[in-house]
Amino acid sequence: MITNAEVLDVEGEEGNFKVSIRKTPRYIDPAACTSCSDCVEVCPVSLPNEYDHGLSERKATYKKYAQAIPGAFAIQKADKAPCRLACPAGLNVQGYVQMVGQGKYKEALKIIMEDLPLPGVLGRICPHGCEDACRRCEVDSPVAIRDLKRLAADRFDPREVEIECQPTRDEKVAIVGSGPAGLSAAYHLARKGIRSTIFEALPAAGGMLRVGIPAHRLPREVLDQEIELITNLGVEIRLNTPIGDELGVDELFDQGYKAVYLAIGAHKGLSLGIPGEKAQGVRQGVDFLREANLTGKAEVRRRVAIIGGGNVAIDVARSAVRLGAEEVTIVYRRSRAEMPAWEEEVQAAEDEGVKINFLAAPQEVLTQDGKVVGLRLVQMKLSEVDSSGRRRPIPIPGSEYDMEIDQLIAAIGQRPDLSSLENVMGIEFSRWGTTEVDPITYATGREGVFAGGDLQTGPWVAIGAVAAGREAAESIVRYMDGRDMTEGREPIVNENPTYRPIPPHQAKADRAKMPELAVEKRQGNFEEVELGFAEAEGQAEAHRCLNCGYCCECYQCVEACKPHAVTLETHAQQTEIIELQTGSIILAPGFEPFDPTPFDSYIYAKHPNVISSMDMERLLSASGPTGGHLIRMSDHAEPKKIAWFQCVGSRDLNRCDNSYCSSVCCMYAIKEAVIAKEHAGDDLDCAIFFMDMRTHGKDFERFYNKAQDSGVRFVRSRVHSVDPIEDSEEVSVRYVREDGQIETETFDMVVLSVGIQIHPEVAALAERLGIEMTEGHFAKSGSFQPVMTSRPGIYVCGAFQGPKDIPQSVVDASAAAAAAGELLAEARDTLTRSKEVVPEVNVINERPRVGVFVCHCGINIAGVVDVQAVADYAATLPYVEYVNTNLYSCSQDTQDSLTEIIREKNLNRVVVAACTPKTHEPLFQETLINAGLNKYLFEMANIRNQDSWVHKNNPEMATAKAKDLVRMATAKVALHQPLGEAELDVNPAALVIGGGIAGMSAARSLARQGYPVHLVEREDNLGGQAHAIYRTATGEMVGENLAKLIQEVESQENITVYRNAELTKVEGFVGNFQSTVSVDETETVIDHGVAVVATGGRALQPEEYAYGEDPRILTSLELDRKFIEDDPSLADVKTAVFIQCVGSREPQRPYCSRVCCTHSIENALELKRRNPDSQVFILYRDIRTYGEREYLYKEAREKGVVFIRFSLDDKPEVSVQNGQISVTVTDHVLGRPVEIGADLLTLASAVVPNASEKLAQFFKVPVNEDGFYVEKHAKLGPSEFATDGVFLCGIAHYPKPIDESIAQGQAAASRALTLLAREKIYTSGHVAEVQPAMCSQCGVCVSVCPYSAPSFRSLEERFWPGKAEVNPVLCKGCGLCVASCRSGAIRLKGFDNDQIFAQIFSLDEAV
Amino acid sequence: MSEFEPKIVSFLCNWCSYGAADLAGVGRMEYPPNIRVIRIPCTGRMSPKFILAAFREGADGVWVSG
Amino acid sequence: MANEVVGSVLVVGGGIAGMQSALDLANAGYYVYLQEKSPAIGGVMSQLDKTFPTNDCAM
Repeated sequence: MITNAEVLDVEGEEGNFKVSIRKTPRYIDPAACTSCSDCVEVCPVSLPNEYDHGLSERKATYKKYAQAIPGAFAIQKADKAPCRLACPAGLNVQGYVQMVGQGKYKEALKIIMEDLPLPGVLGRICPHGCEDACRRCEVDSPVAIRDLKRLAADRFDPREVEIECQPTRDEKVAIVGSGPAGLSAAYHLARKGIRSTIFEALPAAGGMLRVGIPAHRLPREVLDQEIELITNLGVEIRLNTPIGDELGVDELFDQGYKAVYLAIGAHKGLSLGIPGEKAQGVRQGVDFLREANLTGKAEVRRRVAIIGGGNVAIDVARSAVRLGAEEVTIVYRRSRAEMPAWEEEVQAAEDEGVKINFLAAPQEVLTQDGKVVGLRLVQMKLSEVDSSGRRRPIPIPGSEYDMEIDQLIAAIGQRPDLSSLENVMGIEFSRWGTTEVDPITYATGREGVFAGGDLQTGPWVAIGAVAAGREAAESIVRYMDGRDMTEGREPIVNENPTYRPIPPHQAKADRAKMPELAVEKRQGNFEEVELGFAEAEGQAEAHRCLNCGYCCECYQCVEACKPHAVTLETHAQQTEIIELQTGSIILAPGFEPFDPTPFDSYIYAKHPNVISSMDMERLLSASGPTGGHLIRMSDHAEPKKIAWFQCVGSRDLNRCDNSYCSSVCCMYAIKEAVIAKEHAGDDLDCAIFFMDMRTHGKDFERFYNKAQDSGVRFVRSRVHSVDPIEDSEEVSVRYVREDGQIETETFDMVVLSVGIQIHPEVAALAERLGIEMTEGHFAKSGSFQPVMTSRPGIYVCGAFQGPKDIPQSVVDASAAAAAAGELLAEARDTLTRSKEVVPEVNVINERPRVGVFVCHCGINIAGVVDVQAVADYAATLPYVEYVNTNLYSCSQDTQDSLTEIIREKNLNRVVVAACTPKTHEPLFQETLINAGLNKYLFEMANIRNQDSWVHKNNPEMATAKAKDLVRMATAKVALHQPLGEAELDVNPAALVIGGGIAGMSAARSLARQGYPVHLVEREDNLGGQAHAIYRTATGEMVGENLAKLIQEVESQENITVYRNAELTKVEGFVGNFQSTVSVDETETVIDHGVAVVATGGRALQPEEYAYGEDPRILTSLELDRKFIEDDPSLADVKTAVFIQCVGSREPQRPYCSRVCCTHSIENALELKRRNPDSQVFILYRDIRTYGEREYLYKEAREKGVVFIRFSLDDKPEVSVQNGQISVTVTDHVLGRPVEIGADLLTLASAVVPNASEKLAQFFKVPVNEDGFYVEKHAKLGPSEFATDGVFLCGIAHYPKPIDESIAQGQAAASRALTLLAREKIYTSGHVAEVQPAMCSQCGVCVSVCPYSAPSFRSLEERFWPGKAEVNPVLCKGCGLCVASCRSGAIRLKGFDNDQIFAQIFSLDEAV
Repeated sequence: MSEFEPKIVSFLCNWCSYGAADLAGVGRMEYPPNIRVIRIPCTGRMSPKFILAAFREGADGVWVSG
Repeated sequence: MANEVVGSVLVVGGGIAGMQSALDLANAGYYVYLQEKSPAIGGVMSQLDKTFPTNDCAM
């Protein structure tokens, strides 16, 4: 099984294909996963649950549904979220945002601090490029990522986060500069076990964070705390220790440092380059800020002008305001839109009274006595876009003007101060005054010297410096280890990342607003302005995250998973491409339900009470979002009235491209209506709005009739629109009746019966594989090769072959398997594997020695049940020899140790107290077999699913229950006996009864796969009813194709054909039948292993509509005969009438004959083809051209065929008078009778079965009220009988067209083959056995058994003549006969009376 | 009366109800712990004697489901 | 038709049709790869409540 996979490409040819498959990882080890769902508990990512059609939520780690196979959980991931990609340091933004959303601040910090040691600092001052990348922008506004980072640091002290560090090494590293780059390098080195010393020129650590950013943006204590977090790791910071002539790089190496990291930043302001710049009162912004930040004060004068438009300019301005400047003006040469400072900062500055003079550039500082007195400015205008992407400002000549100022602060940029580094050997600088380094390793030209941060990039963001520091740390470690510094570090660029699609109806939600200190409180102090989110609003903000990557990689699951099924390694699994070699390919990719969102008039997306039928399925399901409680979605009230609209996304070319009929919607709508009434009571009003009711499957018409009887309303109409009703949860439905009248009705809920369509990905796959498709995008196949695609060796089944229901899908599936098998017959059994057999130890007559193994199942059992107490208790029980507990009994190593213990302790019975035998019994039985014990010497006590999981609030009672269950299991297991599984040879021959299309297909398929077939036909030629059919619905000529099939069957050496033959006797059972065939009174006995019943059907001879009164009144097949013979009279037909449902859908024959609508329409078109001027009328009750047959109906209407509907209680009347055929019918649209004079009247007569009671008795198979055979299971076993070894196909099952008959013939062959291929049949050990001495021959067992397993021994037998016996081959071990036996003569092995009583008697302590 | 906790013995069909009881566990649906399940291959296996025996052992209720 | 016929079949899709094909083929002696796009097989049928016309549980 290859899950999470997609077929990419197929090469090669039939018999030998090379397939490449892309497999997305599960990110959880399925072998280790115990499905305990502990990961789900901690997973923060909630997503709409597709399984419930979005009506419920699931987590990013999930299991599709409770019973899913494989049972292991899987994690859904997409590419790394854009926020993470946008972050220079690659922080796992989605991860920490989700953690904040959960209030798990410490966990959030842990994620942040993987990369960034300064969460509170960057949580305040980061320019958050991540938010620009946030896909929430496509909905409303980005998630406030930076503020959420700060919230985490506000709520949990980052110093308290445990930071995992590798053992400390001896070597030390010198770091020059304690800004973000230096601090980050020190932090990451420390985590790798390398201590470092930071040399800082200034009297305080932090670099630009300290001296560049004012305290109102970044409080000093936050910075201090986070620097402390780094020094706590053993990092030493030497303040006031500049690098220069005395302490240069060489000296650092001399002092024993193994590497040097240069991160001195860019602290030197750029000068303006205008006259007067040297005047008193002119200074650099960075110098001003440094002074203010280090000392808390700096000189400001009354009127301050600041040149520049970046954050430094704003910081200077806001600081100047706080320091008492009266008039602060920023002069910026472009306009507001081009300002590099953040908008919120600009806004805050303005709030605080800063003026901004846009489009002005300084030309000269005006001085008086060497002091600044003014500034000459020139007006600018914006011209074309320059290399920075902004419009370039150019001066407007003659626009100079002066402004009066006392102080001028330049803040137009900074660069590194290289004076201390200029003389260091080997380090080179760019023309921008930055260091040249390797872009990946950050190594400079000098060995052992690395550089980063603003020194290397020029002034940039702090987070970039942090990233640089981290990368340098990685390089330094590799350098010191002598490893390749670049290996594996090349950035991987994903050109087309895939993310979780933004839900089309994502509700908008406002971005949380950061609370701020009131403007009037900011004067004269440097108190922090942004106050931080409150918890509730922060968590709500975090929930705005769209989870672009699905899984947020918070790794909470890794910690929660006790069996280590999900680990950091599994999380890192990569998509792989698997190459397979296969002989054949079967396509069963299925369909997608039509999405009714684009149908505006149905307001599906806009009104919660308009849902799709798939939503309805989930609402009705006990495992659904409401536990099967039927409610309307808007207010969770129980609905009183529900409407279904049919043909939503089907039979509709106006609003969608699907002009075919989806085949299943009528039936499922009726089913939903019936079930809804069962859930909500009879008072629920269910109305189905439909065009034609298509209940063309087996027993469907009965279901329809019953629904009508139970009060489901069927409204033949076209729905115009649905409108919400104001101030009400209800909706108003406007529809047009058949007679044209417009009606309005209100409903609580509307269910849109959505059609089937092929997913675009499937269509793309078909294209890749080179498979032809139909108009409806289904795989193209032929009527005579119904499961074969246009590419040889590739077969198709299920809804991709055409819209169909489950039974038809199952039929096709088996047919496709048969077709593939026919192709690959010569390679059969070449690749399958079989197992070694361990000899079985004889334990009969030994005293029971029971081993009890109690499972913790991690905390799943042990978290509730006192496992040790249960184990101790088990040791006190009779026959118990050995007791043990296991953490996970199902793990492979435990299995191995179990095998050892069984052997070592000589145990002969085993009890495992763990989960459920339904899933794990086979596994433990396997272990017994490996230990040489008979697998039936085993019992499970279900102390998880039926104990710890359901009584978690009552651990004491749960432990008591576990003890009881163990006691009961031990009592039972002591009575277990080794059971044998009898082996019987299967006769490889097959008997096929019926040589029509279906029977021949079955015979041909079996013969092609190498099995001898005996084909018995009643008539003197093969072919059956198909001889009478002219063309198939897809236009293939039946005659020639039939002849080919007959020819192949007759020439197949594996097939023996018996014509004019009758089956007179059948004996035996599966694998070994003996049947007697009589041909011309000669009897032949055939030994065969399986039988296929394909006895077919025939057309009903009508007894109404004046049939037989005129040669121009024909049945459908009689008309076909005329077509086949090319009867010249057809050309003269001027008016032809078809009457449908002749004998079908009548009280005495309440089933639809399925084929007649399509066939009559095809014939009507043929008449039109032969004589385009003829008038053709089809009188019908419902047109049932299901699937792509609908195109014929459409074509017929386009070609002018007139369709007139009648109802059962007002059928057409036919009279023949004076050689005139006259048909009168009441037209439902006009509401009055119409008389048609016809020169051809065709009666679409019912298909009736040939099934015979005798045959039914021969094979002990049932026949239904209509005379069709009853299959094993309506859905899952359509081509076989409940009786083993007997199969069914063709019209004997139900009326069906040629393609479906052929498919079912192949399906029956496929099912038969699964039996023949086994060569031997093994009986189950759990079978019934008669003790003949006690049998009273009453025959109850024979009559009650649904599998015909019990029978009477022959009266001639020597032992126990006439007594009952049970054939273990046929017995399914249900025990019906055992319970029914009046003499108590029958035992059921494994569930014998004494064993069940042993359990009941062991209850005594429990009850 | 509220003190009374009936003791229930249930016989569940392996193919349906027993599996349903397992699923109740998967869904972590809680129910009172005073019930003991005996797995049977099919309710067809049920004999009235099992029910009587359960009552004789002190059961207050017997539930057969399949 | 290839000279060397391989005795395995790839079934694309783990819904009811794919599962049935896979089971039939495996039981007939062919090695089957069952490819499914989601993490679990079962397809749409597993989402249905009941199936018509017998109202059996779809699961």
